[in-house]
Amino acid sequence: MKAREVDRGRLNAIIQESRGEKWGLIPLLQKVQEEFGYVPPVAIEPIAEAFNLFPSQVQGVITFYAGFSLEPKGKYVVRVCRGTACHVRGSRSILRLMRKELGLEEGQTSEDYQFTLETVACLGACFLAPTMMVNQTYFGKLSPAKVTSVLDQYRKA
Amino acid sequence: MHPPDTQAHCFAEDSPGFGNGSLIDENSGKGTVALETITLTINDKVINCPSGISILQAARREGIKIPTLCDHPALESVGACRLCLVEDKGGRLMASCVTPASEGQVLKTDSPRVLAHRKNIVRLLLAEHPESCLVCNKGNRCDLRAIAASLGIGETNLYPMPHARTMEQANPFLVRDLTKCVLCGKCIRADHELVVVGAIDYNRRGFLSRPETVHERPLEESTCAFCGTCVSICPTGALSVKNAHFVGTPEKEKSSVCGFCGVGCSLVLGSAAGRIVEVNPADEPSTVNGPTLCLRGHFAHDYLHSENRLTTPRVRKNGELEDISWNDAVSRVAERLLEIREKHGPQSIGFLGSSKCTNEENYLFQKMARAVFRTNNLDTSGMAPARAVLEEIKGLKRGRRSTAPLKDLEKTDLLFVMGVDPSHSSPVLAYHLKRASRKGIPLVVVDPREIELARFATCRLQVRPATDALLLNGIAALLREGVNGRRYGDGTTSLRGFAEHEKQLASLDLNEVCRLSGVGEEALERTAKLLRGKRPIFVVGRGVFHQKACRDTMKALSNLSLLTGDTGSGRSWLYAPTYENNEAGAWDMGVSPDTLPGGKPLGAKAFRSHWERAWDVMLSPDPGLNVIRMIREAEKGNLKALYVMGENPVRALPQPEYVTRALENLEFLVVQDILDNETSRVADVILPGAAFSEKMGSFTNMEGRIQRFEAAVPPPGQSKPDLEIINLLLKEMGQASLGGSVDKLRKEIAKLIPEYGDLPSSAGEAWVREAESEGTDPQEEPLFFPIPELKSPEHDDAFPFTVILRSFRAHLGSGTRTSRSERVEEKGWRGEVEMSARDCESLGIRDGDRIRVVSPHGAVEREVKIETGLSSGLVVVPRAFGDNDAMNLFPFKERKESNFTGWITCPARVERRAR
Repeated sequence: MKAREVDRGRLNAIIQESRGEKWGLIPLLQKVQEEFGYVPPVAIEPIAEAFNLFPSQVQGVITFYAGFSLEPKGKYVVRVCRGTACHVRGSRSILRLMRKELGLEEGQTSEDYQFTLETVACLGACFLAPTMMVNQTYFGKLSPAKVTSVLDQYRKA
Repeated sequence: MHPPDTQAHCFAEDSPGFGNGSLIDENSGKGTVALETITLTINDKVINCPSGISILQAARREGIKIPTLCDHPALESVGACRLCLVEDKGGRLMASCVTPASEGQVLKTDSPRVLAHRKNIVRLLLAEHPESCLVCNKGNRCDLRAIAASLGIGETNLYPMPHARTMEQANPFLVRDLTKCVLCGKCIRADHELVVVGAIDYNRRGFLSRPETVHERPLEESTCAFCGTCVSICPTGALSVKNAHFVGTPEKEKSSVCGFCGVGCSLVLGSAAGRIVEVNPADEPSTVNGPTLCLRGHFAHDYLHSENRLTTPRVRKNGELEDISWNDAVSRVAERLLEIREKHGPQSIGFLGSSKCTNEENYLFQKMARAVFRTNNLDTSGMAPARAVLEEIKGLKRGRRSTAPLKDLEKTDLLFVMGVDPSHSSPVLAYHLKRASRKGIPLVVVDPREIELARFATCRLQVRPATDALLLNGIAALLREGVNGRRYGDGTTSLRGFAEHEKQLASLDLNEVCRLSGVGEEALERTAKLLRGKRPIFVVGRGVFHQKACRDTMKALSNLSLLTGDTGSGRSWLYAPTYENNEAGAWDMGVSPDTLPGGKPLGAKAFRSHWERAWDVMLSPDPGLNVIRMIREAEKGNLKALYVMGENPVRALPQPEYVTRALENLEFLVVQDILDNETSRVADVILPGAAFSEKMGSFTNMEGRIQRFEAAVPPPGQSKPDLEIINLLLKEMGQASLGGSVDKLRKEIAKLIPEYGDLPSSAGEAWVREAESEGTDPQEEPLFFPIPELKSPEHDDAFPFTVILRSFRAHLGSGTRTSRSERVEEKGWRGEVEMSARDCESLGIRDGDRIRVVSPHGAVEREVKIETGLSSGLVVVPRAFGDNDAMNLFPFKERKESNFTGWITCPARVERRAR
């Protein structure tokens, strides 16, 4: 399976909505990323054109923020928290289990573009430590059993 | 440095904030708004400075040095390197480049705390820097190394953390070794703020951050134009000039003026062992180019040491060119020319002066032609310089200033650019226009092609070739509608010819204008709306001046300008770029068949007698032959001898074969040049001259700036400065008193040509003076020109396409010099012909196919490149490639002849060659 083809029509439609908007670059990049799961490199030039910027400037903004990616990601992006509180509560084991379960190293995406494994410094939900996120959903007080069941849930979906 | 800041550059209404560009215009020296004077203390010295400038600028004004890696007076300050730290009374450390100087500050630039921090910053930079100073191209000229040395830093005593990157050097122009990058961002700012290309920007962040092209491609696959501005401005060895072989580092540096286009950029020529090994911008605020240059200026000067340089005088014996001594060569030339004059009269000898030679040389050259040979057969082979066309049309000058600094383009309220592709023909002019546009000055671009500048345009009018005058009249007609009851500028309605013009405009069929010009009504209206209430500056180039109907277009432009209320006085309403470094000067010096030095008409007795008195000779009142007619008379056998100085007519004029035949038909052809070329190959005598870097003199650029320069290296071999050659010749003919040294001639020029009065007195540069008579001549009063009738362009079914010639940034003019640049040749640009996707599809042509473009007069064969922005029906052929074979397409005709097509467009058909 390959990464989704970029729907140029949809991309252009999103860009046109924000054309020329003041301070509109980052919100637009967020919209694009939300739609495609990443910012497709082909989007750089049309976005630059829409804001009267140089394409190199747009690329500069995308690569500056960890939140934007120029590479396609899996359908489900798993972010395991490696913050202090989670670490104390055993997030290293959670991550190790996750690697084994998904067969992925940090930063990698599965060949079928179902899963991407990432770590983050803190999810800001220390009271739930150890925590992780799958796309926009939080999972807290993780245990190996819970990790497996959460993953199964997404594998089926 | 923070990426979102980059947005500040894209909205005109955003103030650029505090910085070099906004409050104080240091570059101009004028226009400084002294808000108020403030007093502060730096290193115990009490200083006064205008408010609004930075501490660093205030210190510099007082000669107090603060080290910095990221600051440059022409760039917005960003505080990237932090080396310019200063400490205030309260012990605060601040980066002086981004901290405003304010009243009562007490600052130290080298307190123990400042020094300790500065040293640490440099140590950290060095810890990330490779220890390759010994083999680095920047070597002893590295700012980082100099600052480290001045702070006494040898070993950093830190764990080295070099950031290894692959060295990029696939292109023949520059080497990018980002391992040595200190992230000062000067290259990025120069790219964005000065040359406005935007090929690079910061990419990634933290340790991984580096200036990078979009998609991290190599430079040659990016939008980079290889202007080399980043190379000159880089403080370390991260960016350096690429040389094919070792040339050494410059031992000496000398200021000079670029020998390519009409912008006349100030250069610093670095030489080693008598060779120019490096070219950099002089980087003085008062110069036309500041810290910028272009591909040609920076990288193509390697032609100076091409193996094609002419280094010995040569003479044709039994059909072969043989080396000969200077004495023999000079006496042969003098003897033969005098003999031919005796036998066939003065009209049988022609002189081609040079738009590349100095003012002094051109002056003496035409003096020799007029005073010794009594002929006005004088021209350059640059066809119809704009100035000549402008002089022809009475009423066009209307108090026009003869000097028009390019900097003023960034201060006007609207720019109207027509028939010029400055990004390729005169890049520094393009930088000014793009900067103006980024500052929010509305820009109208009229061109049949989608030129690079069009991307910066507020209104873009893709006009069909040869319909420019129509389009302009259409815009003028729309201006009549007015806004708030106000239709035109002050004083417009009382001008001569207004009522008739108004009537003609009223009856203009706008639908027909749109149909013929191919410009939509909506675009036309938008342009008219933009023009209302503004006084545009028109920048008009070869695309107009080389048109068949250029006079109609110029008249329509003048009418339009008058309607906007620009009735003359003060600033110039028209900028006409010159395309060769001394095109303006050669014309001013009188290298023209019908004008005397100073541009005065030859036909007027008063002007003639001025020169007769000065030179103590009688001048011929008969206008001479221009270059086209000289060649034609040579072919017919009426012109017997031609003396060509620094021109290559065979390559520059239409129908090279015809021109060669004509030259071969001459009894005697003298070619004085620096390179072996198409013309020198048919010469009877070759006199090897000197390039600009090897002689002293002055050039006049398109602004009217007269720039003096001296030799940086000696001429190669036996070659001599061109002035010396003419002097030798005059001496041989017993007329030594007519000539003289550069200084003597400068004084003579200044005395006799009032516009050049400042030539000898000024140390570096002077400006062409305002001529006294201008504006008072009744024939030069502003007037409206009548509008010609609407006519459909001629169409020939056998030649359904229209060829347009274009310039390419690596080559100048016909490319005699630039095609001898090793770097340009190595890059291997092929000069593809551009066609629209639609035409290619209908002819079954694929991208990269070989095609033949055939006009009624000749053909060129080239690969084709499909250009998406191009209108169908157009075929774009670049000049200078393939021995400038594009000139095959044009008939050998001049403006006044029937069937003249102009030198910019011609009808053609396209044939596909076998794949």
